[in-house]
Amino acid sequence: MESARLILEARRAKRAALDELAGKQLLASYGVTVPKSRVVQDAQAAGAACANLRPPLALKVMSPDLLHKSDAGGVAVGLHSAAEVEDAVRAMMKRPAIANARVDGFLLEEMAPAGVEVVVGGLRDPQFGPLVMVGLGGVFVEVLADVAFRICPITRLDAEEMLDELKGAALLRGARGRKAVSREAIVDVLLKVGGEGGLLMAHAQDIAEADINPLIVSEQGAVAVDARFILTKA
Amino acid sequence: MTRDVIERFRPLFEPKTVAVVGASTKGGTLPNVFIRRIREFGYGGAIYPIHPSAESVDGLKAYRSLGDTPEPVDYAYIAIAAAQVPPLLEEARGRVRFAQVISSGFGEADEGKDLENALAAAARTGGMRLLGPNCLGLHTPRGRVTFTEDAPKQSGPVGVISQSGGLGTDIIRRGMSRGLEFSGLVTVGNCADITPTDLVEFYFADPQTRVVGMYLEAAKDGRRLFEILRDAKARKPVVVLKGGRTRQGLVAAASHTGALAGDDRVWVALSRQTGCVMVDTLDQFIDALLVFQTLTPQPQHPTRRVALFGNGGGTSVLATDCFARLGLDVSPFGRPTLDALAALQLPPGTSITNPVDCPVGTLRQDEGRVAEKILDIITGSGTPEALVIHVNLSAFAGRTPPEVLDNLVEAALRVQSRYSGRAHFVLVLRSDGDPPLEERKREFRAKAGALGIPVYDELANAGHALAALAFHERFVLSRSGDR
Repeated sequence: MESARLILEARRAKRAALDELAGKQLLASYGVTVPKSRVVQDAQAAGAACANLRPPLALKVMSPDLLHKSDAGGVAVGLHSAAEVEDAVRAMMKRPAIANARVDGFLLEEMAPAGVEVVVGGLRDPQFGPLVMVGLGGVFVEVLADVAFRICPITRLDAEEMLDELKGAALLRGARGRKAVSREAIVDVLLKVGGEGGLLMAHAQDIAEADINPLIVSEQGAVAVDARFILTKA
Repeated sequence: MTRDVIERFRPLFEPKTVAVVGASTKGGTLPNVFIRRIREFGYGGAIYPIHPSAESVDGLKAYRSLGDTPEPVDYAYIAIAAAQVPPLLEEARGRVRFAQVISSGFGEADEGKDLENALAAAARTGGMRLLGPNCLGLHTPRGRVTFTEDAPKQSGPVGVISQSGGLGTDIIRRGMSRGLEFSGLVTVGNCADITPTDLVEFYFADPQTRVVGMYLEAAKDGRRLFEILRDAKARKPVVVLKGGRTRQGLVAAASHTGALAGDDRVWVALSRQTGCVMVDTLDQFIDALLVFQTLTPQPQHPTRRVALFGNGGGTSVLATDCFARLGLDVSPFGRPTLDALAALQLPPGTSITNPVDCPVGTLRQDEGRVAEKILDIITGSGTPEALVIHVNLSAFAGRTPPEVLDNLVEAALRVQSRYSGRAHFVLVLRSDGDPPLEERKREFRAKAGALGIPVYDELANAGHALAALAFHERFVLSRSGDR
């Protein structure tokens, strides 16, 4: 099983968390859409990989030492050509925080279509087992703590009610002149993550905490743009 | 399954033999008091005091150990020093069904954790199920056993589980004065063996119990509690008073999600997913239990629109605000209802829109019978899901013959039975604490309660209780088609 293999590999490497690529592969194995991507080791390979990806592209450093990639200067977005991508890799490799860290490579990804940023999370409660969370991204989660939790496994109705519970729910319906986004796509991700047989139930023993932040939701669907899975203490 | 659960707990709720450990030959200890209380409560089975040396205690023949009694013990009440309890349980030789350990000095403090593990192991060795330790006892009218003074003998539909002993006493005594009638109340303390979840299973199976109340501080087996409540789909309403909901969030959370979780979120989730009603105070707990004891939930028409009828303009305005904050709708009646009320030609100063504000002068008309006409029109219109009738007893004092008030309350009772099932009727009897008024309130409370109308002291209490009922009704409706 792909998902079990990903967790086992991280355990074998004595990692406390899945790296971003493994996290996204884990999500993909449960049917959650993640950006199309390539892992490259240097600028030249990055430039070559552009041929198979549709710009704009995002570039992210992969390192077990860098918990906050963007603070270290390890994230570049809106890259439109192979030349821009190559320059971005070279610039990153020169940054002190990255030059001094173990670097597993660079993740080159297609950027998700613009949309509303949503956060989907997971947490293992010592008494109740896995919980799933949803919130609206940015200020809504960080400042207002506008989130809804449920005990896994959730039903479709539970997922719908989670979205209704958010104070910022109007944003999903297209407040302030914006287009409504696919509510169905969020419900679908919540079920794949927190539903019966979903990711959190299947790996309840291994996953201590999870953040899919952001999940970018547009009219067409939802894409998990970043993902962190923190493992339980072995 | 249901039958098994009932049979398993029958010796606890209807014990035929009770052992008491810790009673002194000189009297005065808690176990001596317990013996007196169950005798006064009408317990007629055997009582076996367990004593290391005495021949008799409180006139009852004493025995040396739990394994030495003439008949096996259904329920053992144990209040001796903590360290002496495990050896006592080990000697039971499988002849005790349920032991309740009142003693403290176990897992409630870090240094007692090992002793609590030893206690649980001793209960297994002795072959019994264990309640407590660190609790006060059990109140079971059907079994004529209680741990409180002057306990209510009347049996009823409210089954309660309390992790706090003292609060258990409050629930019985304050609940009794507000009209609650219990199918049982068990204090479970540290839950070394039997947990609230086990007792929820019993109350769900027990035909006498129609509503379950829980005071919880922790849920060791939270997962099982969730699954049992979820699978029951709120078939019986459950009211939860959870202590310790404001504990700081998880300290070392590494993710956003972890930092946002806190201790409260999971209880909100439990409530939303299982339909159990969360309340914040002891009074809200009792008020919500009373609403479920007295009224029959109507999930097909969840309570939302409320008609207010009574005396007191300011009171009506405040109540409208309070109800609105609780998600209840006190909005003006439709044209036909207003026309019908206007046709009554009530005196000036009477407001008929909703809230209906009737000064004492209006209520006094026709010796109080005008109220029946008003209530009849409101209820007959079919608009409100609930009708709250509030009476300020103080406003009647000294200027109105007593029968006016009787007429008013009886009018409410008559209209309610005329339109049975159409709308929930709730009565609020407001007073200023004056003893004669309190006494009249007590009479009306009993009369109304028996006829299926809950009585509250204030409009806010009634509002919270109706909000609890509405939450339950909406949940049942939302899950009626859910697989």
